[in-house]
Amino acid sequence: MTATPADRRKLEDHLAGWGFAAPAVVLIGVFGLVPVVWSFVLSLQHTDLTSPGTFAGGDNYAKLVADPLFWDAAWRTLVYVVLFVPATLALALPIAVMLNQKIRGVVLYRLAVSVPLVTSTVATGIMFSWLANPQFGLVNAALDAVGLPKQGFFTDPGQALVSVVAMTVWGWLGFAVIIYLAALQNVPKDLIEASSLDGCGRARSFWHVELPLVAPATGFLLVWLTINGLQLFDAVYVTTKGGPLRATTVLVYHLYNEAFVSFDGGYAAAIGCAVFLVIGAFTLAQLRLNRRTSHYEVR
Amino acid sequence: MRRPSALHLILFPLSVVMVTPLVWMLLVSISTQEESRRFPPGLPSGVEWENYAAAIRDAPLGSWLANSFVVSVVCVVGNLVLCSLAGYAFARISFIGSKVAFVLMLATLMVPFQIVMLPLLIMTRELGLVDTLGALIAPNLATAFGVFLMRQFFTTLPRELEEAARIDGAGRLRTLFQVLLPLMRPTLATLAVLTFLQTWNDFLWPLIAVQSPEVMTVQLGLQSFQGAHTTNWPKLMAGTVLSQLPVLLVFFFAQRFFVRSVAAAGIK
Amino acid sequence: MGTGLSRRTVLTMGAALLMTAACGTGSGGNGKIKVWHGYTDAEAAAFGKLAERWNAAHPEQQVELVFNGGNDNVLQKTLASFASGNPPEVAYQYGSSITGLTGRPQTQDLTDQVRGDAEFRWDDLFAAGREAATVDGKVYGIPALVDNLSLVYNEKLFDEAGLAHPTAEWTWDDFRSAARKLTGDGRFGWAYVNDGTEDTVWRFLALLWQAGGDLLSADGKKAALASDAGRQAMELLRDMAVTDKSVYLDAGDQQYLNLFNSGRIGMLWTGPWDLGAINEDVSYGVQILPGKVTHATIAGPDTFVVFGDNGRENALPFLKWLLSPEIHLEFAMETGHLPIRQSEVELPGYAEYEAKYPGAKVFVENLEKNVTKARPNIPQYPKISQVLGTAVQSVLLGQAEPRAALDQAAAEIDQALAAS
Repeated sequence: MTATPADRRKLEDHLAGWGFAAPAVVLIGVFGLVPVVWSFVLSLQHTDLTSPGTFAGGDNYAKLVADPLFWDAAWRTLVYVVLFVPATLALALPIAVMLNQKIRGVVLYRLAVSVPLVTSTVATGIMFSWLANPQFGLVNAALDAVGLPKQGFFTDPGQALVSVVAMTVWGWLGFAVIIYLAALQNVPKDLIEASSLDGCGRARSFWHVELPLVAPATGFLLVWLTINGLQLFDAVYVTTKGGPLRATTVLVYHLYNEAFVSFDGGYAAAIGCAVFLVIGAFTLAQLRLNRRTSHYEVR
Repeated sequence: MRRPSALHLILFPLSVVMVTPLVWMLLVSISTQEESRRFPPGLPSGVEWENYAAAIRDAPLGSWLANSFVVSVVCVVGNLVLCSLAGYAFARISFIGSKVAFVLMLATLMVPFQIVMLPLLIMTRELGLVDTLGALIAPNLATAFGVFLMRQFFTTLPRELEEAARIDGAGRLRTLFQVLLPLMRPTLATLAVLTFLQTWNDFLWPLIAVQSPEVMTVQLGLQSFQGAHTTNWPKLMAGTVLSQLPVLLVFFFAQRFFVRSVAAAGIK
Repeated sequence: MGTGLSRRTVLTMGAALLMTAACGTGSGGNGKIKVWHGYTDAEAAAFGKLAERWNAAHPEQQVELVFNGGNDNVLQKTLASFASGNPPEVAYQYGSSITGLTGRPQTQDLTDQVRGDAEFRWDDLFAAGREAATVDGKVYGIPALVDNLSLVYNEKLFDEAGLAHPTAEWTWDDFRSAARKLTGDGRFGWAYVNDGTEDTVWRFLALLWQAGGDLLSADGKKAALASDAGRQAMELLRDMAVTDKSVYLDAGDQQYLNLFNSGRIGMLWTGPWDLGAINEDVSYGVQILPGKVTHATIAGPDTFVVFGDNGRENALPFLKWLLSPEIHLEFAMETGHLPIRQSEVELPGYAEYEAKYPGAKVFVENLEKNVTKARPNIPQYPKISQVLGTAVQSVLLGQAEPRAALDQAAAEIDQALAAS
């Protein structure tokens, strides 16, 4: 065997490359990739997750198709996403445009808008439960003060899901504003100045200049918020536990119940695989968008 | 040309709405129980420190915070080191299988946590990690996102830097740690911030992977504290304030930095 | 049931869980006893003192008390601890949870130790506690707490409304009409925990029994609640909650206590665990529940369940000591818990207890007279409780008619019973 210096260099590259990459790649493979396959295997089993399962074939998927609770949860998840995502976007963009102006105190305003970013969902749930408490809460006090009837919020089956939407919009608004701000700050100043020289009003310049330029950010947020909305769990767990009368039992909550309350692990895995299909489609869309929108600089 | 006054009319009330939950939490946490039960609610007449004393007495806040801290810091360090190494390899070294490995790794970004959590639970149990902090650390020690982020930034660095170092006789590892990484402080900081936030606020995984009270992270502990003290709101709020204090403090002092990290990565 | 904290019972275990055996291991026998409990405040302090005293005298059987983070999730946590192979030696459990644990190899059959030990005086314990700890004739737990529901009312609100205080002869009609008259101006006559858990269910069971009905047929094979008695019980709930709107529907976060304390709820159906949380400036009375055919109430017994060989060998002596009449009376004095055995009531120190907790008398009498039935201790109970909880909840919220809700619940319960 005669190895040329070039060969040796290559071999050294292979070794060094794997030496550097292996720890992360192995960890990610073991904890990120293997479980995906395993999850699919689980979905073909009857198992309570604590003892070895038995092969179930398509039983769990048949159960899924026939389970009215699954379709209820899927419908509720859809309703949630359809309310949560547009509400967050519609609020975030105008706020970002305003926060992009050079006005006094803008730093404080930005601080106020972004502080929910670091507030955990558990803490958020505790705060909102109290604010929206039907008997003692600040929100009903405000309604009462202006002569409106008190509401049940999290305790009313008709309002619980909307209350969760409101709470999660509060939690995510700062994130969306930051992304929009970053996009807006990449909008060349001279474009806006040019449009104002053309006699465009502020509003018109917003519609014709800024809005199209933040379209990639909107696309990114749309997908990102949808993915997160489809995975809603924490906010429900800490406020309504899926109730009242299942009014907030969304897909992942249903999955959790099946896995850890009913201990039907195989069925839970099947629900997981179904959720994965939907989320996978959105994530693919996000990866395509990512190329265009991944690096913003906030000055 | 600007009309700031008009904007203040919108931004000020908006900011008030955004901070109301937090401010109200602070106010309730210093109220007496009687005051918390008034309707319509009002401001507390004094400061009831006893709520904080009671919260500390009843909740092992110290150990919850310590657990969260250990998990988050270990994961931050793990991600900084392992993702830097892997990111560098994927950006700079052409080695056999690197493309496949990188694509497979990226693919895991597409996988929602709910689908991996059941097998993950079984795996951590088989590894003897369940109900230990190890169960919370191991799956988060290196993330595909971190590797991706680091690789992106390594590719933006000029190759000449390394070549110069190599000519000076430095090995790859030394080049990486002494020449390249110091140039990447902002990126490393971004990765650190995001990893910290994510692990600190994680809820679903600790919920299923941890049962013993002494292994609980602060989010999990807070949730059980909520279950146990549903009627004593001032005490519950005091506990919540204490649990949020560390991150809130860091946030207030490094807000711009947080914001930049979030914007850079597009991830909460 | 219940300690000073949240009384909600999470027990929605599926039957599937119970049919499968776990692959757990007992913990090593080093004499160290880990006890999971849900006590806070005064209860925790009293429990801690007793444990310290035990530890000082028993260096070979050291007890370590661990707060379980709240009793509501403890069944789930216990099962998870089996999965991880690291269960505690003892865990405090709601009575309705025990059948979720009896099929597991970790859970210890204590029948011989307890019944065969004359010093334990098993038969001296109140029946409600013994029954809750017994499944299919075998003893799987040690009674930790026995209590029951009585009517607790705010005397001032009754006086202001010009109403006579509740009597032991009160009927459902008296009760409903009083609740209606107490309602208005932000006040409610009654409170009902409406979260769909066992907390929702057990008050309904009391109503069902009062009307002369029962949950299951005598042979335990069929649902029996879709009867006239069941309908009457559901209709009372609907009439009060939907028609009269005299009921505060608690979301499970126990705000009814805050409302009772601020004079906005007239009557509660609750147990001794809530008495300690009532403010000193609220003067309240305690009466047995109103009646239809009977004045039946329901006991909420909690149990200490013992796991692993180490638990059986080393934890049992501690629990036995804890339940001895003198020690338990001492604990009851500090916490307001009810006595747990007959001989406790006969101790000289009991008069002092009665003086300190005047409200407790009704509860103790209730235990002897009105606790006539118990929940069925069967593996399907958690599922039954879940079904019934939803039915009661939907009637209280006006989303289902009593008869329809009962029929559906009965059908689902039949299904659950047939499936196993």
